[in-house]
Amino acid sequence: MLSPWLILSLLPLSTLGALEKTRGVPPDLLQKYAPAKSGSWKCLDGSKEIPWDFVNDDSCDCLDGSDEPGTGACPDTYFYCKNEGHIGSLIPSSRVNDGLCEVQCCDGSDEPEGVCPNLCKEVGEMYRRKMAEELKLRKTGSKIRSSYITYAQKEKKRLEGVIENTATEIALREKEYARLKDIADRTESLSAAALAHKQQSPLYLSLLDHSGALKSLQREHQKLVEREKQLSNILDTLRTGYNPNYQDMAVLEAVRGWEYIAGLPHINDVGKDNANDETVSDEEAGIVEDVQEEELEEGMWTKEELEKELGDLLSTDYVSLLMEHDEHVSSPPEESMIFDIASYLPESFLPQYEDFKDTLVSWLAAFGIIKGEEGASADASRARQALQDAENVLNKAKRDRENAEKDLEKLFDPKMFGAEGEWKKLDGTCLEYPSGDYVYELCFFGESKQKPTKGGQTFTLGRFSSWNSSPDVQVGSPEYYSKQLYNRGTKCWNGPERSVQLVMTCGTENAITSVQELEKCEYQFTATTPALCLPVDSNGNGKAGSREEL
Amino acid sequence: MRWVALASLVLALAPDALAVKSQDFKTCSQSGFCRRGRALSTRAAEAKANKTTWVSPYSIDSSSLSISPSDASFTAAVKSSLYPDIKFGLELRVHEDGVVRVRMNEVDGLRKRYDEAASWALIREPEISKDITWKAGKKDVKAKYGENEVVVAFEPLKVTLLRNGKEQIVLNGEGLLHMEHFRAKEEPKKVEEGEEVVTDSEGQQEVMQQEPTVNPRAWFEGETEDDYWDEKFNSWTDTKPKGPESLSLDIDFPNHAHVYGIPQHATRLALPTTSGPEATYTDPFRLHNADVFEYLADSTMSLYGSIPLMHAHSADSTVAVFNAIGSETWIDISHPVKDKSTLSHWISESGILDVFLLPGPTPSDIFAQYARLTGTTALPAHWSLGYHQCRWNYVSSEDVRAVQKRFDEEDIPVDVFWLDIEYAEEHKYFIWDKKTFPDPVEMTEDVAASGRKMVVIIDPHLKRTSSYPVYQEASEKEFLVKNKDGGEYEGWCWSGSSSWVDCFNPAVADWWVEKFKLEKLDGRYSWVESTKDVHIWNDMNEPAIFNGPEISMHKDSIHYGGWEHRDVHNINGMLFHNLTSLAVLRRTSPPQRPFVLTRSFYAGSQRFGAMWTGDNLGTWDHMAVGIKMVLANSIAGMTFAGSDVGGFFGNPEPEMLVRWYQVGIFSPFFRAHAHIDTKRREPYLLDEPYKSIVKDILRLRYKLLPVWYTAFRETSVTGKPVVRPHYVEFPKDVKGFDLDDQFFVGSSGLLVKPVTDKGATEASVYLPAEDQVYYDYFSHVAYPSTSSGKQIAVPAALDQIPFFIRGDSIILTRERPRRSSPLMAKDPFTLTVALGKTGQAKGELYLDDGTSYAHESGDWVWREFVATTEGKKKKAVVKIESKDLGKTRGSEAVDPTKVTSPSKELSTETYDSKNAFAKSIEGVRVEKLVVLGLGSKPSSVKAAVSGEGDKELVWEWKEGVAASDKKMKDGSAASELIIKDPKVTITKDWVISVQL
Repeated sequence: MLSPWLILSLLPLSTLGALEKTRGVPPDLLQKYAPAKSGSWKCLDGSKEIPWDFVNDDSCDCLDGSDEPGTGACPDTYFYCKNEGHIGSLIPSSRVNDGLCEVQCCDGSDEPEGVCPNLCKEVGEMYRRKMAEELKLRKTGSKIRSSYITYAQKEKKRLEGVIENTATEIALREKEYARLKDIADRTESLSAAALAHKQQSPLYLSLLDHSGALKSLQREHQKLVEREKQLSNILDTLRTGYNPNYQDMAVLEAVRGWEYIAGLPHINDVGKDNANDETVSDEEAGIVEDVQEEELEEGMWTKEELEKELGDLLSTDYVSLLMEHDEHVSSPPEESMIFDIASYLPESFLPQYEDFKDTLVSWLAAFGIIKGEEGASADASRARQALQDAENVLNKAKRDRENAEKDLEKLFDPKMFGAEGEWKKLDGTCLEYPSGDYVYELCFFGESKQKPTKGGQTFTLGRFSSWNSSPDVQVGSPEYYSKQLYNRGTKCWNGPERSVQLVMTCGTENAITSVQELEKCEYQFTATTPALCLPVDSNGNGKAGSREEL
Repeated sequence: MRWVALASLVLALAPDALAVKSQDFKTCSQSGFCRRGRALSTRAAEAKANKTTWVSPYSIDSSSLSISPSDASFTAAVKSSLYPDIKFGLELRVHEDGVVRVRMNEVDGLRKRYDEAASWALIREPEISKDITWKAGKKDVKAKYGENEVVVAFEPLKVTLLRNGKEQIVLNGEGLLHMEHFRAKEEPKKVEEGEEVVTDSEGQQEVMQQEPTVNPRAWFEGETEDDYWDEKFNSWTDTKPKGPESLSLDIDFPNHAHVYGIPQHATRLALPTTSGPEATYTDPFRLHNADVFEYLADSTMSLYGSIPLMHAHSADSTVAVFNAIGSETWIDISHPVKDKSTLSHWISESGILDVFLLPGPTPSDIFAQYARLTGTTALPAHWSLGYHQCRWNYVSSEDVRAVQKRFDEEDIPVDVFWLDIEYAEEHKYFIWDKKTFPDPVEMTEDVAASGRKMVVIIDPHLKRTSSYPVYQEASEKEFLVKNKDGGEYEGWCWSGSSSWVDCFNPAVADWWVEKFKLEKLDGRYSWVESTKDVHIWNDMNEPAIFNGPEISMHKDSIHYGGWEHRDVHNINGMLFHNLTSLAVLRRTSPPQRPFVLTRSFYAGSQRFGAMWTGDNLGTWDHMAVGIKMVLANSIAGMTFAGSDVGGFFGNPEPEMLVRWYQVGIFSPFFRAHAHIDTKRREPYLLDEPYKSIVKDILRLRYKLLPVWYTAFRETSVTGKPVVRPHYVEFPKDVKGFDLDDQFFVGSSGLLVKPVTDKGATEASVYLPAEDQVYYDYFSHVAYPSTSSGKQIAVPAALDQIPFFIRGDSIILTRERPRRSSPLMAKDPFTLTVALGKTGQAKGELYLDDGTSYAHESGDWVWREFVATTEGKKKKAVVKIESKDLGKTRGSEAVDPTKVTSPSKELSTETYDSKNAFAKSIEGVRVEKLVVLGLGSKPSSVKAAVSGEGDKELVWEWKEGVAASDKKMKDGSAASELIIKDPKVTITKDWVISVQL
């Protein structure tokens, strides 16, 4: 673009003299710009009558500014550039006669004659070429979009299939559950009374208490670990990014205190950017070292053991343990009842019993519950376990059906995957965009994350919450789908919860094109997606080609 | 335990209410030399209270008096009765313009006191008068000139400036002069058992001695050597290898009840007292350039800049004192006789005594006298008077483009987009962060395409890394400040571990200029990724050092020439500003006017660019005190000043933001800025009605740019500030001496009182003591003032600004809204002729190309517009004339201290009214005239242009009150004559005659 000064120096002042009276008048108002028979003219708002000579005389007379369509003498009015060979356009009066050739006025009519060249032929051609390209892009995009719609249709069928299939499976599973329940009940009845008695053992009861206490401890411990992690993150962030508040001695003290506790060298002594991957020298890591060197008492668990094995310990089957315990304290083990029971049965029942036993044993073995001969009580608890598993399988099938039903509902919900289901295809599709020291990730309808490339913490920037929620945007309109909101991300230290506004335009690819943190912890992603490429009508218009787009 | 400790640490991090961290900064009682200086004045006061005599130990040895035979200067030896072996030398000079310079230094001392402060502040060595002569008597030596007389008494030493026999300024009248001489450090006595080291509540350690020896100097100096050889503050120790060298001086204004100046402090313009029985503040005003985080809106604490200039004012006299000292200085102010006199006590850490007495007798004279010493505000680039949009930070080049787009979409004018520190990779200034600013040159060109500019920050701390060529070069050339042990001084700032450019090294200038060159240099770094449209912001130049004492540099670190930082601390920031300004000026050939904003400043900084009042808070009281601070800076020469609109910290509510824009458009420097933690608040983001109100406010600034630029021309020549407090314009109007919330814009006759109260719907404005009419700028309703002044109540809803045109003024505006000020260069003018009580009015307009130095060789247009009324009542003719001031006052048009060396000297004779610039705007018209306060409806209105015949003009008439109406009521609509397009141009002579 030419510099304004260059143009100003060329400005011939005489050209401001006699202007065409209709200069700058848009076509729809042209008939209003003619003198009355008296030779006067009425301001468009009717407020004043002025001599026709005052129209476009570069001196503002009307309150509404309508007497100066072509000069810019009246503020906050508009000037119409005809742009023959291209598309006419309205520009604010503040751009008229300001020495700059407006891009919107390719005919150069916004400045006195001779200042700006008429570029409408070239601009028009370029515009048409650009529009053709855009049309092409939109066509390609809309093809992809229709494949998304097809996908949604298939998805619909698939879900309907799932619903159908799960119905069959549920029927089957229910039968199996009933059968196992029968077995379990029968097995249990063999030992229920005995088991109840054994369960009154103070040892068993105490064991349950211990277990309960241990579980609570584990929960509290995990909470604290999580909390420590959060606090460490806050302090690490403070330590590496404290500049604005370093003037505050309290902050400095906090940083020093943290460095002491965490065994980190003072940030002044290391390159700040290396703060994340610095190595801690032995001397500096004093406190951490102390903790590690602390000797464990006999039988005490290490930190790793606590983390990895406590869970296993807590999932111990106490009933089985009780049975085993029983066998340990009582004298020589008897044969397992299930194998021994035959001796009490009359001969005639034996074949049926053997059949039943084989079925039960093989079933139990198949589930890996028994290994040959074991106690009856163990059988009972294992049968119950099998029943539980069967119930789980049944419930899963039920859940599958419910989910499929829900998914089917969402599929064509305008507030979710669109009236045509065109967004379903993108459900769970993840896009990445590297920017600065981070890779930004966004999974459609899922979560958005900021992942550091040089080590450090990954932050959740938010989870999908809605489409464009602006009150003046209609649900289901193209504008509605041009924006997605992801919010309730990790809270910023001293700031809001992180959030993402995803602004999308039609494109042949699903891709993030820019990431900006416009406000602290409020991100704006721009992206392209074919899902926004509406079908092109016979006139070649996707959306109405507006003048503002020039 | 650990967790408890950590938990309490975390609690300590919780953001508390915005507040200054006062524990980071010294009070007088925590500063050794200030404590000693104040103790001295306390002893003197006690002596007086006890009716014991208190006589200054300093006296002139009359036998040593040596009066220059060729000019108005003399030298004499000074002795102190406390230390008979120590020699001091005194010198007095009377300059051609009557300014008196008093210098005193230790002679043949153990070390040398810093004596270069004035050389940085002054534009040249002032001419000593050849006409005035000193006459020696037995008790004194005197020089009398005009109404003025300087009397230097021998014993005790006392310097008095009198006018018509009345004492105006007295030095050492109270006997507080004390120049601590250099001495050798005595071997410290070992701390004997039985003595104990105690720490008082402020962490000061004193050795309690069991048997104090009798000290004959104790009556004056005190019993103990208080912090002579080292001084602790928080975790820092100042080693003070030179020992005590402070300077105490009382400066008395026996007949002036008001003092102003010594910026910068967040306080009232008329300086409140700091000592005496009813003192407003407990601590003295401090001059010690400092980055005070979240500073208080009402305090004597030092801030970013220091100008040791004090005006003393009364209804019949204005005088001033410029104390050219570069070290930390504390100033106590009291009124020995209430409403009559003012006593100031200046306590400085080091340096010689070098005081200039400015005899006045009017504020205008003071500005001229001070301008001859330290220079004037350089005529700024015209665009820099437009609106500056800043934020920490516009995060990418796309962001900058998007912000510009939004301004254009809303048709809101803006001239400059700013980039704070985040543009720079790892805060290595000059080096763009290419991840976010991949195309800095293209970005700047996109901004420049609509006549706009960019301002980019360059701070004085250089990141200490081999990957930073600017640091590498500075380090290799030893251009960096050294620590007390002679190594590179290292401290912590935005860029992490950093070192500081030592601008006191004369070799640094050329090197720094080179860094801004736009072309590639062989083997040296230059900023090729910049353009001529990039201008500069110097921040953190106090210098601010996050881990240094009082967030600044260790005082025992060493500058060029071996001077300690303590000697030059307050000058340091100015030098960086100076060099950057020079660099931008020399970047192109021919040179372009640089715009460089500074946070730190000293006397003389006005020559190098604009300043702002630093990191203010988004609160109503900060908004209000910002006005007072701008006025205080203005009268001390630093008139291209402003406060951050919206407040740096915090999220101002829309109402506050609107009011702040109303304040901002009436600041010489007008910038909106915001901290990185704040929500975005660009004007286009506001909801209605706020957005439209702010848009109108911004447009008003642009309409008035001709007034602002004309005011800047005046200050660039005369030193009279662009915004003027009441006492400057009405020095005899006693009721206005304390006013600091309303002010005048240049000599235009525009009076404004920005509203700074939440929820205000009405404002009270003081009209000066004169028989004159004041017109509301917007509604044209009239308010008559009286010869004793008058308080009026005016409407002040959120979209209203109490803004007045003084009768007797002609205001020139450009009414067409544009995107930026360069795009207004060819727009027509509107004249508002505000007739005064006697039917007169006048106004001025100065124009030039706004960016080059062509004005220095005569490329400008300077015109005067005069309205006169001839004849009486119904037969009167009001003539409005356009005259060429080049023809009558051409030699006064521009500052004679030129940047370029034009071939021709300017004079009225050589001025060419058809110069190239005048030709370039010869088609620029006057599109409208509005005449306020005419006596009756005219019968005809005609324009006569020289060389053309008379033309009858088109006009409208609105009935209203006449300016001359003696029964005018407050708020009555003035009569208005609106003349449509008189078909006259701005560069030509013409007369418009209104026949009543």
